[in-house]
Amino acid sequence: MNDMHLALHGVAIKKHAAAEAVAAAVGLTPARAAALLAEAAAGGRVVEAQNAYALTPAGRMILDNQYSRFYDALREDEAFIAAYERFERVNVELKQVITDWQTLDVGGQKVRNDHSNKDYDGKVLDRLGEVHERFEPVLAVLIRALPRLAVYRHKLERALEEAESGKLQWVSDAKLESYHTVWFEMHEDLLRVLGRVREE
Amino acid sequence: MAFELGQYTLAIDGTGLPDKQLIGGKAWSIARMRALGLSVPPAFVITARACSAYLEHGALPDGLDDELARGIAWLEEASGCTFGDGSRPLLVSVRSGAAISMPGMMDTVLNLGITDATEATLATATGDAHFARDTHRRFLDLYGRIVLKAVTPELDEQATAADWRKLIEDAAGAAVPADPRAQLLSAVQAVFESWNSRRARRYRQHHGIPDTLGTAVTVQAMVFGNLDDKSGTGVLFSRNPLSGERAPYGEYLARAQGEDVVSGKFTPQPLSTLATLLPDVHAELLAAAETLERENGDVQDIEFTVQAGRLYLLQTRAAKRAPAAAVRFAVDMAEEGRIDTATALSRVSAEQVRTLLSPRLAAGAAEAAECLARGEAACQGVGVGVVVTNTDEAERRALAGEAVVLARATTSPDDVHGMIACCAVVTEQGGATSHAAVVSRALGVACVVGCGDGSVTALEGRTVTVDGASGRIYAGALPVVAPDENADPHLAALTRWAEAAAPIEVRAEGGADIDLDAVEGGEDVERLPALLAGRASAQGGAIASDGGVRAALAAGIRTIVAAPRLPVLLAALEASREQ
Repeated sequence: MNDMHLALHGVAIKKHAAAEAVAAAVGLTPARAAALLAEAAAGGRVVEAQNAYALTPAGRMILDNQYSRFYDALREDEAFIAAYERFERVNVELKQVITDWQTLDVGGQKVRNDHSNKDYDGKVLDRLGEVHERFEPVLAVLIRALPRLAVYRHKLERALEEAESGKLQWVSDAKLESYHTVWFEMHEDLLRVLGRVREE
Repeated sequence: MAFELGQYTLAIDGTGLPDKQLIGGKAWSIARMRALGLSVPPAFVITARACSAYLEHGALPDGLDDELARGIAWLEEASGCTFGDGSRPLLVSVRSGAAISMPGMMDTVLNLGITDATEATLATATGDAHFARDTHRRFLDLYGRIVLKAVTPELDEQATAADWRKLIEDAAGAAVPADPRAQLLSAVQAVFESWNSRRARRYRQHHGIPDTLGTAVTVQAMVFGNLDDKSGTGVLFSRNPLSGERAPYGEYLARAQGEDVVSGKFTPQPLSTLATLLPDVHAELLAAAETLERENGDVQDIEFTVQAGRLYLLQTRAAKRAPAAAVRFAVDMAEEGRIDTATALSRVSAEQVRTLLSPRLAAGAAEAAECLARGEAACQGVGVGVVVTNTDEAERRALAGEAVVLARATTSPDDVHGMIACCAVVTEQGGATSHAAVVSRALGVACVVGCGDGSVTALEGRTVTVDGASGRIYAGALPVVAPDENADPHLAALTRWAEAAAPIEVRAEGGADIDLDAVEGGEDVERLPALLAGRASAQGGAIASDGGVRAALAAGIRTIVAAPRLPVLLAALEASREQ
């Protein structure tokens, strides 16, 4: 593993993010991430626009080829693979919870949840918390094998706690690090680490 | 009074209404339905006193197992079934229930009491071995997840119960007890423990609920809708939850359990099927719906099961409703004298009215148009624009002012910046829980998913109309109209009531002291306090949003100029109720 790989990986996960967000995602200091991204930009691996970084096609190719090298051992780690497979099972439930958060089933028809039914929202939020707690020991196994994943534990807890204190946008808002945003980034991260392809 | 089975347990027999603090909301609701003379499966409750004792001493109180045995004996007598064996097995549900519902409490365990022996008798009684087997599998799965708190592996339908138990034991590090009475005791203990779960503690802290209250546990006999031809299961709404029409609306599936309806394996029939098959049950059900709606002062959504010709109500709650139904329920019930106009206004949100008045395809436009693709409707709304398949290009062109429809095989976080900028998202693969669906709903962008390989990316460069409500993509730019709030009599009635109650005047036209469209930052709710200070009236910018109305009230604005008016009036009422 080297820091440049981490910085490029952070850009791939965070998408169009500033150096600070990339740094936080992969556990680099902001200054180190900024320096690495400036170097990567000079080398044509990333482009910067309005303080947001994106991979160039060349950068993407280089990054994609590095994973198998850096995560060789992890891809053979049975405990890690087993935990990842449990993650995929929880993922199916999580996606359903998020969908139920956004839509109401009214007499068999799906309508947009406008969050006026507090009782319903409370139940869905409760299910989100329940899925979260069941996932915690699985995440602990993943973190034991790859410590930088701890950032997701922190971010998921934060999103859950914000949502539970009544800030509903922390469940699935795409424009902030909501539960779904973080969950999806974590999924993307695991897929890259293991060299797998997401299935819809 | 429900009668006491011991120091900590009460049988709910409908004779009076015990204290909600003691028996919890769920048992209280069962007791209330029984007290109203409605048919509910028999139940007993372990009171919050037992939970307090457990929390104090760290162990279940002495004699609780005897009391549970008495409770089970009472359920056996009331149901004519036996627990753990017998030709008619008694299965029970176990649910947590505090006086105030809160997150983090244990979920419901269903079908407790099924064993290898009762699976066999259930198979004989229902004539459906697959059902009995599946009931067993679902019980073990729930017990593993909820009581043993494990991420249980998929329990393969072909495997044996012994295999399932082994898988759960491996995942949980603890076995499912073989004796159903031991399972019951463990489930009760798991409910008590859930009182101190992280989320429950946080919630109580946040809402100032004492930690000492404790939770009750409700144990209720399960009923079976798949016993014979006079059995079935369904849901009933006391009024139509889609249109709001004052007519019962529901579904019924003969010879089926609730899971059959949920699983989508079977198609439920309209409620008229029940009227034909079992007219007395149908009449009793409608009468029960009427009673519950009147007593609860709101439209009810009732789950029911018919077992061997006898109706059982399983659950009733305020019905979820589509925006059109929310408006009509509120106005009709106020006009019928069931609720007052203040309650009616509190039951319709500004957002629901905005949705009702949002632009849609003009009547008849779709019929004449060419449908290019269709998929699953994932997020309502209409988007008209040119199809772009490259996300970066979509964002660039949208930011330059062009209306863009983003078409992708699937979407990933790589595409979110393009989804934010475009007017509609369409995909070829994935369903209602796919990334594209979830993110589009979060953004409020019209979205159709799963249109099929090669279907929508092939439309690159064409102008299309995406109808997120029907899941169709049409050729060309179809006419789009916004409904008129004054043309609908129900909206007009709500507007009259809202005008009388709102702390602010809302006019559709005329000038104002400040036009937020004409000043810098007028679109930003955060900047409104400064911009509105010292003004008496305002229009434009973010003024008509919920946050804008709240800022206007706080700034002492007396008149808002905006159309449509009703969402602004309702937002003002919502804001004044919150204060």
